[in-house]
Amino acid sequence: MLHDAVTHVVLVEDSDEDADTAEEALRRTLLPARMQRVISGEACLALLTGVPGLLPSLIVMDLGTPGLDGRDALREIRRDQRLSGVTVVVTSTSANPRDVDFCYQAGVNAYHVKPVNHLEHLDAMTAMFEYWLRRVELPMPQPCPRAVGQ
Amino acid sequence: MSNHTTADRHPGDEGEAGHLPWAGQAYSVKRFGVTITNCDSEPVQTPGCIQGHGALLVLNRSDLCVAQASENSDALLGRAVAALLGQPVSLVLGAQEEASLRRLLGRDDCERNPRYLCTLPAHDSVPALDVSVHTVDGVVVVEFEATGRSQPRPDPASWDPIGRVQHSVARLQKADTLQALGDIATAEIRSLTGLDRVMVYRFHADGHGEIVAENRRDDLAPWLGMHYPAQDIPEPAREIFRQSWIRPLREVGAPLAELVPLAHPDTGRPLTMTHCALRGPSLMHTEYLQNMGVTAGLTLAIRRGDQLWGLITGHHYSGAHDMSFEMRAACELLAVVVSLQHRAAQEREELVYRLQLDNVLQQLVTQAAHEGGLSALLDGPPTLLDAMSAGGAALLHRDRWTRAGAVPPEAELQALGAWLANRPELIDVERPIFVTDALAREYPPAAAWAGCGGGLMAIALSRTLGDMVLWFRPEALQSVRWSGNPDDKPRVLGPHGMRLTPRRSFELFVDSVRGRSLPWKSVEVDAALRFRAVLMELVVSRAAQLASLNTDLARSNDDLDAFAYVASHDLKEPLRGIYKYAHQMATDAAERNDPDRERLAGLLRLALRMDSLLDSLLHFSRVGRVALLLEPVDVNEVVAEAIEMVDGRRRDKPAEIVVPVRLPVVQADRVRLREVFVNLLSNALKYNDRPITQVEIGCTVAGPQAPAGDGSPPGVTFFVRDNGIGIQPRHVDQVFKMFKRLHGRDEFGGGTGAGLTIVRKLVERHGGDVWFESTFGQGSTFFFTIPGVPAAKSNAA
Repeated sequence: MLHDAVTHVVLVEDSDEDADTAEEALRRTLLPARMQRVISGEACLALLTGVPGLLPSLIVMDLGTPGLDGRDALREIRRDQRLSGVTVVVTSTSANPRDVDFCYQAGVNAYHVKPVNHLEHLDAMTAMFEYWLRRVELPMPQPCPRAVGQ
Repeated sequence: MSNHTTADRHPGDEGEAGHLPWAGQAYSVKRFGVTITNCDSEPVQTPGCIQGHGALLVLNRSDLCVAQASENSDALLGRAVAALLGQPVSLVLGAQEEASLRRLLGRDDCERNPRYLCTLPAHDSVPALDVSVHTVDGVVVVEFEATGRSQPRPDPASWDPIGRVQHSVARLQKADTLQALGDIATAEIRSLTGLDRVMVYRFHADGHGEIVAENRRDDLAPWLGMHYPAQDIPEPAREIFRQSWIRPLREVGAPLAELVPLAHPDTGRPLTMTHCALRGPSLMHTEYLQNMGVTAGLTLAIRRGDQLWGLITGHHYSGAHDMSFEMRAACELLAVVVSLQHRAAQEREELVYRLQLDNVLQQLVTQAAHEGGLSALLDGPPTLLDAMSAGGAALLHRDRWTRAGAVPPEAELQALGAWLANRPELIDVERPIFVTDALAREYPPAAAWAGCGGGLMAIALSRTLGDMVLWFRPEALQSVRWSGNPDDKPRVLGPHGMRLTPRRSFELFVDSVRGRSLPWKSVEVDAALRFRAVLMELVVSRAAQLASLNTDLARSNDDLDAFAYVASHDLKEPLRGIYKYAHQMATDAAERNDPDRERLAGLLRLALRMDSLLDSLLHFSRVGRVALLLEPVDVNEVVAEAIEMVDGRRRDKPAEIVVPVRLPVVQADRVRLREVFVNLLSNALKYNDRPITQVEIGCTVAGPQAPAGDGSPPGVTFFVRDNGIGIQPRHVDQVFKMFKRLHGRDEFGGGTGAGLTIVRKLVERHGGDVWFESTFGQGSTFFFTIPGVPAAKSNAA
């Protein structure tokens, strides 16, 4: 089965500026990708489990989002077998080795530190999208769990 | 005497009969006194002689016939000895007084207790004689004294013995210290007897004596406070005073009258004269008194139970001194009263001293509790020295000695402390205290400590830490006035050549007290023990307090680190936004050639600077929180890595980095240690305006090979030395402060100013110290210590 021509990306990011940078970076890749933004881990989980359709190919998640922390969302995603195949990339302000370790232990696919310098940030995000959406073969998107159950 | 056997040996007749000059016969001072070479062997209780101013008859108990008579009977009693022996005593006393004597003996209260019998009227050339009687060893002793009655009677208004004694007793009862008791007793007895000098002579535990109270004729030199060697009052003489209250000596050096025969004809025993007022003094005693210029004397006992506590000694310097029976009885009574009052007065005095000690100790403890350290004990006032009559005091607390007064040097204290730490006394369950008045006898090095090596009292404040308090007491030889000290007055040799005289005894005595202090009083030892108990409580409660403070501190440090970390993160996100907008505006402005573009460029630069500050803050907070991974680290490798890391950063200028010595292996966190070197190296390279930057890395020699326990703290001191710009003296306090930059933001390559703060934190987390030496304009050397030495190299790790 062929997947959609348009790649589905979910961005978990509470900062509008960072979300804007991510969108700009994605645009700069000129990839046929559609990015859906949520601002918390909770919203992300709701999106993944509650909306009919296919799961996203890539989740880009900021670690320090309000409410249910990015860490908890990460744990939930990796605990749920139906979601565990989704590629998750963490972007964070923190370069703390403890945060980095935690995320890889929790099964993220990559961990990026967001620089303050906008150009560096933009370049890093662009390179990240380039890598995950162009250079790497991702698994086929699976249906949303609820859609499967219905 | 052939039947003088061991079984009927007498006190003072110390069983060395075989070696004594009078072996096989009864002793007589008159005949054998000069042959005595050792006071302790003189049979002073059976001297065989009486003072010549009186006469003495020994009667058989059964028939009151004369068995022995003093050789001067003819002169005093009007009958030659030969005419008296075997005759009834009525020959001397008359029938009436003999009947009185029988009645007196019948009451049976005169055993070893002289009673006044009568006064024989004067007749012919013989003066009136007071007659007193006592019984001892189954015989009746009748003493005749030409005293009292023969003198013109003092005015009855001033001489009323009973009244005087009542008055004296009333005064003595009011004494509430030993001192007051002694002062009153000497004053009363002097006024009662008219002697020139009356003293209270106290025996210390080691037997030596001290004059603790004195009442004297105004023109006499004071002897108060003088100490006398134990040998000055030999044991046989002391034994007399355990049995008898009084010993009068009418005239020093007056002729003695021997008993005839010397031994009792039936029993063969010499007469026990312990209770005789007329007992003849030993020649030694006579010489001793003559050396001091004494012409008459009186000695009274002060007893505590059956112990002889001391003596009341009266001296007269102006010829013979008559003391009537009544006067002696009054003195004896006073001696008894002093003895009875003594315990109560001493207890009161000790209570006062104890309260005084406790008061000072309590102040000390409060002080220590307040100022939060045991060192307060010696900061004073008051100090440990005030709390105890001692020459010096020392406190060992946290491996540091604090000293006050006369105390041995620190190195000696260290060794003494180590020796004491192994003494079982200090951990005794009942009385954990080490007390000695002769330290050098147990700890020979103390012999070399001039002025403080006599006595020691030590308490331990904790077993594990080795904290202790020591009180030193100087050698008594140096600290008190010794009578007979050759430096004090000319030495007077006795007239009998090499024979031991009391003054020669001083030299013997010096040998016996060398290295000895005055003994510690039991009230002092008790106070030290109470002090220890209170201090221990304080130490324990302080330890608990500290532990809880430490917990709080650790918690708040953690909180602070977590706060710094979170804050940095949360600050970075908006900063990224700010930067982004500024960037966009700057881009637009550049396109329009907008004059704002410069300001926007400045905004971007500031945002980036803030970013790097936040990075430093983050890093610093992480340095404080992350656990160290301690392992043996070869510092040569670490330094090589550090050089590689900083070298890569700076290629714009030639730099020589040298490591001339081989660096040791230390117990450290490899990554953090490298960071320390990287920071110090990059500073050394950065702050340099010479054509060629020179940096030397090394370590000082007290390295890991130094034997542990030699006093130097285990560990290694490293240094990084540069020929850079140096640090101005006014900046020395700023160097290690967070974000403190000593130069303009963009001078010397910029930087956040956190490097040395992080260095310090890293070194401190290893348990080390960091410091620097610098000459402005010539260079700086940064030092740091790493205390951890791998176990394989030293047992101190």
